[in-house]
Amino acid sequence: MIATVLKLLGRRMLAAVPILIVVSALLFCVLRVLPVDPAAMSLPPTATIAEVEAKRHEMGLDQPLPQQYLIWLEGALRGDFGRSIHFHRESGSLVAATLPATMELAVAAMVFATILGIGGGLVLFHVRDTAFEPIADMASILLLSIPEFLWALILLFVFGVTLQLLPFTGRVSPGLSQPHITGFLLLDTLVVGRFDAFLSAGQHLILPAVALGLAFSPAIMRVLRSSLFDVYHEDYIQQARLRGLSESRILLGHALKNAALPTITLAGVQFGFLFSGTLLVEVIYSYPGLGNLMVDAVRNADLPLIQAVGLTYCIVVLVINTVVDGLYLVLNPKLRVR
Amino acid sequence: MPHPIYRSLRSARVLVALGLILCIGFCAAFASSIAPHDPSEQNLVSTLLPPAWAIGGDETFPLGTDSLGRCVLSRLIYGARTAMTVAVFASLGAMVIGSILAYVSGYFGGAIDWIIGRAVDVWMSFPPVILSLILMVGLGIGLDKVILAIVLVDWTRFCRVLRSEVLIVTGRDYVAAARLLGFTHWQTLVREVVPATLPLLITLISLEMAIAVVVEAILSFVGLGVKPDQPAWGQMIADARQYVYQSPWNLLFPVLAIFLTVTAFNLLGDGLRRTLDVRLAESGR
Amino acid sequence: MFDSQKVGAKAVFVLQARNLTVSARVDDAIVPVIRALSFELPRGKILGLVGESGAGKSMVGRSIAQLLPSGFHILGGELAFEGQSLVHMAAARRRALLGRAIAFIPQAPLTALNPVMTIGRQFDEHLARLDQRGRAHRRERAIAMLAAAKLPNASELLDRYPHQLSGGMCQRVLIAMAFVSNPKLVIADEPTTALDVTMHPPIIHLIADMQRQHGTAVIFITHDLRLAAQLCDEVVVMYAGRAVERGPARSVFSTPAHPYTRCLQLANPSMSAERRTLYVVPDQMPSLRQLRGISGCHFAPRCPLVAEDCCQAEPPNVAITADHVVACIRAEDTRSITTELGSTVATTFSKRTLLQVERLGKRYAIGRGLLGRTYEIAAVKDVSFSIAENEFVALVGESGSGKSTLAKLLIGLEKPSTGQIMLNGQDLTEPSTRARRLRTETMQMIFQDSQSALNPRRRVASIITQVMEAGNRRASWDERTARTNVLLAEVGLSADFAMRLPAQLSGGQRQRINIARALCNIPKILIADEIVSGLDVSIQAQLLNLLMRLRAELGFAMLFISHDLSVVRHLCSRVLVMYRGEIVEQGPIDTVFGAPQHPHTRALLSSIPPGGALGSLAIGGE
Repeated sequence: MIATVLKLLGRRMLAAVPILIVVSALLFCVLRVLPVDPAAMSLPPTATIAEVEAKRHEMGLDQPLPQQYLIWLEGALRGDFGRSIHFHRESGSLVAATLPATMELAVAAMVFATILGIGGGLVLFHVRDTAFEPIADMASILLLSIPEFLWALILLFVFGVTLQLLPFTGRVSPGLSQPHITGFLLLDTLVVGRFDAFLSAGQHLILPAVALGLAFSPAIMRVLRSSLFDVYHEDYIQQARLRGLSESRILLGHALKNAALPTITLAGVQFGFLFSGTLLVEVIYSYPGLGNLMVDAVRNADLPLIQAVGLTYCIVVLVINTVVDGLYLVLNPKLRVR
Repeated sequence: MPHPIYRSLRSARVLVALGLILCIGFCAAFASSIAPHDPSEQNLVSTLLPPAWAIGGDETFPLGTDSLGRCVLSRLIYGARTAMTVAVFASLGAMVIGSILAYVSGYFGGAIDWIIGRAVDVWMSFPPVILSLILMVGLGIGLDKVILAIVLVDWTRFCRVLRSEVLIVTGRDYVAAARLLGFTHWQTLVREVVPATLPLLITLISLEMAIAVVVEAILSFVGLGVKPDQPAWGQMIADARQYVYQSPWNLLFPVLAIFLTVTAFNLLGDGLRRTLDVRLAESGR
Repeated sequence: MFDSQKVGAKAVFVLQARNLTVSARVDDAIVPVIRALSFELPRGKILGLVGESGAGKSMVGRSIAQLLPSGFHILGGELAFEGQSLVHMAAARRRALLGRAIAFIPQAPLTALNPVMTIGRQFDEHLARLDQRGRAHRRERAIAMLAAAKLPNASELLDRYPHQLSGGMCQRVLIAMAFVSNPKLVIADEPTTALDVTMHPPIIHLIADMQRQHGTAVIFITHDLRLAAQLCDEVVVMYAGRAVERGPARSVFSTPAHPYTRCLQLANPSMSAERRTLYVVPDQMPSLRQLRGISGCHFAPRCPLVAEDCCQAEPPNVAITADHVVACIRAEDTRSITTELGSTVATTFSKRTLLQVERLGKRYAIGRGLLGRTYEIAAVKDVSFSIAENEFVALVGESGSGKSTLAKLLIGLEKPSTGQIMLNGQDLTEPSTRARRLRTETMQMIFQDSQSALNPRRRVASIITQVMEAGNRRASWDERTARTNVLLAEVGLSADFAMRLPAQLSGGQRQRINIARALCNIPKILIADEIVSGLDVSIQAQLLNLLMRLRAELGFAMLFISHDLSVVRHLCSRVLVMYRGEIVEQGPIDTVFGAPQHPHTRALLSSIPPGGALGSLAIGGE
């Protein structure tokens, strides 16, 4: 069984490589048809035309498009993603510095979203055929309608500004030094033993993670509910009842196992969306992650950086999707065993 | 069963949603008649005023003013115009491209299906928000560019969802029967397949409008949306965020506006899905 | 009746029903689904509940388990298990009985097992409720039971998932699980309906063996009269929720007292008797909604013996002999219901060959090996046969034999890998428009799934005349209306059906529309793919009679695909037997059925319950 799963995963990974190449090429092309001239942007406004031309040559912008792409690709494979025009640093190192922060936020948000989603889904399912059902259903639609950036604003307003319960800027309180081992603050602070920093990091993480989690949990709730609903209409549930099994045994031992499949798959897909949703949340909470980096890059038309960050997002989402596919294979006996 | 349109109109959800949408649409269409002020008119004397019912409020500015003294209510109303324009045109555009490709891909199958499928896969491996940001960098800012960006990003969702439905319908015997009776491919598609997928299509358009409103708000918030002289809810939020302590109301109103609009479209989509999908209507889900 | 045994009767009967009434909520009214049902089931005996779909038989099973669908309630009467009332029992006690003393064998075996759990886990879970002795013991017990159910490699089977087993194997597992607790009562709800025809005898025999071994009382629910006659000791015939006849199987089938039972017998085409026209009972059983409006005998609207008194009040139970009861006031005249002897198969038809199939074959590529090799499977191999004008030819075989693929090849939905199809000398396998048009004009198909075959958004008139809007033809609406009326009359439906939607039609009516649509352009050959499977016997009889009448009036040939050999014998003159993609035997029906050569043909023939009790006595009276 392990062999089949690994083989299928491997095949999927291999299929992802051409996708990545095409994606990076598309990114490249889209950015190169800009009305902005990166060379002119990186020089002071007083530069002469000759100086701009020289800069263009230096940046390799006068070469044909496919060649530019190949040069970039070759660099990328070495880990060199070009130099950020705005920050004057290697794009790769900028990404590496901010990626752990975004990861931490995404994972925290996902944990919250999953717990809330499963709990909410079970509640929604429990109240079916009762008077509460329309209320619960309406509530889930309302929740679904609030995108993550609205949640971020609402939570900031209520808990940050009005009630002043939680901080809403940055990763830790200013003045506290951040230990830097893995880049995951919660982990680093614990390892080093700095509990004050740990607490501060945790507090700063709450509002953005909850905002993201609230935005992405309704989908999980609804899919769990409808999967359970579908499963309960299946023959084998009725047959289990006819064998005398109790309702709780049926729910835990039979129904959830089957409903888990579509739910986990959807949760996995949602994780992909959640990861890209971190962008807005980071901007609103001034959280120093990949999102803020992207927005800075985009505002400054910093091509190499946009490319590097965009590619990073794509790679992460592709990895998440591949893992989800693999998980689906492992959990679904029909695909696992012939 | 009564005709689907009558069933839909009897659903409470659909009625409430339609009501909301009509209100917002009304604001959008007749903005110039309704809005008390010119939305770009700056009053540097009366900046960051609270709404009329709060202390320090001015009756001429019912919902207060922003950091440049512009009337919040007027900007909200004109912002509705921006939002609705984007919603309608972007979703129609995405629908046209997405559905044509979905029908061709699902009905004919084979190599065409494979090519379109791979294209959708590649496209969808871009996180949508990131892709729309990048597209805006490439296209430049402006209302038409926003619509174009949303169409280019979201047609894939339409295509993928509709294609599954097209596959199911094409597998039904009555489609094969039509071919056996001598229908051409075009006749079969138009007379047998498309009408069967219309309920899903309508639901998807409604949901797409909700997404378009959110994306437009995000783009305006980041500063890559419509041109600065055009009022947009996202831009109002970005502005209000900087002065959130002085004037919290300015943040609340555009947030509420976005929330109501998106909820209305989602509600409409959900209500239509229930009434138009006969299976669901009968099982009472 | 069993009155004389009432003293001490409670201890004798495993299950006893007295005036059981179950109701359902339909459109704000309470409608009885089962009315005043009474029967007794002694220890170790088999009781058959026979009836067409909608008669209420499955509701009896669910009433026993008290797992009625929402809206259904037990309104009155009594249902007792070994003397204890099931209706008034506490829920916990009842649940304790299920799976232990009372077991169920379901209708659809493949979906009755949890797809994400192994067989072993599910069996173990079931045994854990019964047996506290530990996992190893339970595993041994499971293996022993599976072996008793004639499953090979029982210990390996425990680690498999349901989707890796065939329908027949799943059913054996379920039978094993039902009998492992040594139950007093087993309810088998149509256990063979979802299985292939050749699986029917082994499963029936298995149930009978297990029943004998464990001394279990069995309630056997079925729509198949012959099966009930073969297996059951006593039979209850149900119609519209009422037991219209009850008695020992032998008596009920040799001398049916109720007109409905008799009509049911006569509507079943026989395998051995001389051919007779099938008895056609008009319309169909009233649905739940229609039950509200009927007073008096519910069968009266369709009954050939109907008299005025029948519609006044519900007929009382009349005892014909000590144990044979019937609910009819005209029971003595039942034996007068009969049908004519006659050749139902047109022996005279033109000898001119219409369709000639030569060495037709179809291969599909499935899966890819490690090195990219494609594995191929031959769905149809080297098939050759011919059909003459006006000839009805049968194509029989199990599921997976390739019958449907062959139909698709003939009709043009699939392209053949090898071979030719010649229609009046023209090769249909050419990709030319001429070939395609010839095919469209002369061959039409009637699909099996009448629900999927009709566009739910089109009205009947639009469906029937659909061919008139194909291609470049632009028939006017008047022309179409005229043709609709003609076609509706031909298939025996009234003109007001023209404006209905498919959702408003019953299964039998939908099939008639299917047939009408195929006939619109007066084709020369019809391909009927299992069009009467899954339909009630009386509806089936209506459709078969219709087909024969249409052939006499309009004249067309037909390739009739079916797995039901008795229907085929009734309708067709020649038969093609298909097995694993090849035609293993073909020839005139009487020859092939009388003296089958190929082992598969013999297997198919032996899977039909012996019509002995039925066949020779189907001729009116004794």
